[in-house]
Amino acid sequence: MKTVASFFRGPFYIALYTYREGIRKKVLIGFLILSLLVIFGSSFISSFLDPSAETDMDLKLIKDICVTAISIFGVLITIYVSASVVPNEMENRVIYTVLSKPVRRIQYLIGKFLGAQLIIIVNLLLMGFLFFMALYLRQGIMPTLLLWSILLTYFEFLIVSAFTFAISCFATSSLVPIIGGLFIYITGNLTEYLKDVEHRAGQTGQAFDEFIGQVASTLHAVLPNLQNFSLKMQIITGQPNDPPTDVLIPNLILYGVLYGLAGFACAYLAFWRKEV
Amino acid sequence: MPDMSKSIHRFFVLAFIVLCFVAGAFLNLRLRHLRESEAFYRWILAAATNERLFEEEDTEDQDRALFSRCVETAEQSPDLRDVSAAADAPALDGVSLLGRIASDYKEDPRIWEFARSEATAGLRGDFLNLAREQKLRFAQDIQYAEAQAGGVNVFNLFFGFRKVAANFVWIEVDRYWHQGNTYRMITLMRTCVALDPHFIEAFVIGAWHLAYNVTARMLDTPWPEREWHPTYEVCLGEKERFYYYAVDFLKEGARRNPRDYRLYFDLGFSVYKQKLQDYANAVKYLSEAVRLPHEQYVPRQLFLCQELNGQYEDALAGWKDYATRYPDSTISIDVAPRFILRNEGLILERDYEQLRGQAAQAGDPAEKARLEAQAQDVWQKARAVWEKVNDPFGEGRKARMDALELREEGRYLEAIAFLDRARWESSDLWQEFSDLIIKIKQEAKIPLTVSEKKAVLRDSVVGVCAGMPPEEREKRLRAAEELQATF
Repeated sequence: MKTVASFFRGPFYIALYTYREGIRKKVLIGFLILSLLVIFGSSFISSFLDPSAETDMDLKLIKDICVTAISIFGVLITIYVSASVVPNEMENRVIYTVLSKPVRRIQYLIGKFLGAQLIIIVNLLLMGFLFFMALYLRQGIMPTLLLWSILLTYFEFLIVSAFTFAISCFATSSLVPIIGGLFIYITGNLTEYLKDVEHRAGQTGQAFDEFIGQVASTLHAVLPNLQNFSLKMQIITGQPNDPPTDVLIPNLILYGVLYGLAGFACAYLAFWRKEV
Repeated sequence: MPDMSKSIHRFFVLAFIVLCFVAGAFLNLRLRHLRESEAFYRWILAAATNERLFEEEDTEDQDRALFSRCVETAEQSPDLRDVSAAADAPALDGVSLLGRIASDYKEDPRIWEFARSEATAGLRGDFLNLAREQKLRFAQDIQYAEAQAGGVNVFNLFFGFRKVAANFVWIEVDRYWHQGNTYRMITLMRTCVALDPHFIEAFVIGAWHLAYNVTARMLDTPWPEREWHPTYEVCLGEKERFYYYAVDFLKEGARRNPRDYRLYFDLGFSVYKQKLQDYANAVKYLSEAVRLPHEQYVPRQLFLCQELNGQYEDALAGWKDYATRYPDSTISIDVAPRFILRNEGLILERDYEQLRGQAAQAGDPAEKARLEAQAQDVWQKARAVWEKVNDPFGEGRKARMDALELREEGRYLEAIAFLDRARWESSDLWQEFSDLIIKIKQEAKIPLTVSEKKAVLRDSVVGVCAGMPPEEREKRLRAAEELQATF
C-alpha cells in the first residue's frame, strides 16, 4: 500500500503542476470564453422563431446548440492540452530537470496525462455547469439527463486525448500533435466509411479489392468509432422510457477507458524510447 | 542483461496495447450489435404502433411480412408469450402479441430484450438488409442508415451534430412560413424530421401549421371540386387535404416516437376534434396520450371528447377520477363538478329516451305502464340535474326535454319553435338542436328549408366527387335519391 502511495505521489504533484500551468494558457481561456459565449447566446436563438407558437422549441434549440458547442470547443481544448503538455516541457527544457529527480518516466507520463485530463474535466464541468444553469432556469427542473451526456462527452474526449498525447510523445513540437489530434477526431467520426469500403470492395471480385476490403474491415473493427458517442445528443432529448440507453452507456464508458488505456500505452512506448 | 530487460518491458507494453485494441474491437462489435438492435427495436415499436393504432398498410413495403415473422418468433419466446396487454388498454381484438405488449410502455424493456436476443439474429439481419434496400416504410430514417452496413450517409456528414442541422433547417421552415411559401415549407419540414426523427416540436408545430395556419384563409372546397382520397376514403379539396397532411405528419411522428404523448394529443385534440370533428378518432388518440406519461390538461380533453362521442359513462368516471386525483386544482374545484353533473344529466336523458322507446314498443299494457313510470322517474331526475347545472347548457337541455315532451304529444310546431329559440341561447347545443329540428320536421312531414336540405345531404354520406370508385359513387347516388325522396 505504501509503495503504491509513494508511486503515485510523484504523478500527483506533476498532475497538479500541469493543471496549474495549463489552466493559465491564453488559448485555452479563449476557447473556454468562446464556448461560454455560444452557450449563453443559445438562449437568444429562439428570437428567430415564431413567438406565437407556444412550445418547447427554444429549449430544444438550447440543448442541441449547447451539446454541440461543448463537443466542438471541448474537443479543441482537449486536443490543444493533450498536444502541448509534453512538447512544451521539452521546448522550455523543464522535462530535463524533472527527469533528473527520482521520478520514473512512467510516473512523469502518468502525471502529465492526468494533469491534462484534469484540465479537460474542469473545462467540461465549467461548460456543463453553464449549460445546466441555462436549462434549469428555463425548465425549472434539474436536467439530470445532461449529466449523462457530459459524462459520455468526457469519455469521447478521453479517446481523442489519449491518442493525441501519444502523438505528442513522438513529436518535438506541439503543432504536429494538434494536427494529428484533429485528424483523429475527424477520422474517428468517419470510421463508418470503412464499412462502406469493405462493402464496395467485395462487389468487384478482384483479389486486390478483396484485400483492400479485408484491410478496411479490420481497421473498422479495431479503430475507435467516435460515432458511437452520438448517444450524447440522443440522450438529452431522449424519449421517455428508452431502454437501449441503459445498456449503451456502460458499454461506451468501458469503450472510452479501453481506448484511453491503449492511447496512453502507445504514448508510453514512444516516450520510453525517447532520448531525453 | 539490461537489453534483455528492455526487450521484455517493450514486449509487455506492446502486448498490453494489442490487448487493448483487441478488447476495443470486441467492444466495437458489441456496440455495433447494440446499435443495430436499437434500430430493430425502434422499428418493431413503430410497426406495432402502426398495427394497433393506425392500421396503415403499403403493399410495396415489406414491413408487414417482416413484422409477422417477428410476431411468430415472439410467440415462441417464453419471456413474451405470457405477457398480457396493459390493464387500461382499449380492446385489442386482432392485434398481434407484439402489438399487445407494445400497448403498455412499461413493457418496452421486454421488447428491447427481444430485439437484441439471439432468437432474433436472423430477423435482425433481414431487417438490416431490407432497410438498406429501402423496402421498409418504417425504417427510412437517417437513424436506420446509421445501422446499415455501408455507412455512406448524411449522418456522418454532420459528425453526429445532425440535430443542430435540423434546428437550422427548422429556422428556415419558420422563415418560409412567414413568407407564405407553404409548399416549400412542407418539403423542408420533411427534411428537418429526416435529420432528427425525434424532433417532436417539429412534428407538433408542423402539423399545427398544416391544419390551422395554412388553411386559415381558405374556403371550404365545394363538393364538385373535391377529389377522392383512397387512403382515407373521403372526398377532399385543397383545404381538407391539409388536415390529412397534418394527420399523416403526426402519425409519422408517432411511429418514430411512440412514447411521446404530445403527438397523440395533437392528433386527437387539435386535428381530429377541432378540425375534423371526428370524435371517435379523437377519443382513440387522446386515450393513447393519457396512457403515456402526460401533463395534467390531457385527460380533460379526453373527457370532453368522450362526452361529444356519446361515451358519457367514461367521461363521468374520468372526471370523478380527475377530481379525486387532483383535489386541490382549480379545475377539480370549479370545472369538474359541472362536467360531472353534465354527464350524469346526459346519461339520465339517454336512459329516459331508451325507456320511452321500450314503452312505445311494449305490447303488454302493464309492462308499458311500468316502463312509462320508470321513464317519468328518470325524466324527473334528469330535470333535477339540469336545474342544478344552472348554466346556458343546463337551460338548453331543459328546453330540449320540454321540446321532446311536446313532440310526444304531437305538438310539433311548438317543439320546433322551442328548440329554435333555445339554440340561439346555448351555442354549444346549436348543432344538436338544429339536427333535432330537422328530425322532427321529417317525422311530422313538415317541409325542410333549402339550408336544412343541404345540411341533410351534407351530413349523410352522399357527396360525390372525382376519382371516386364506381361502386362507391353508385351507392352514394342511390342514398341521395332516397334522401331527396323524403324531402
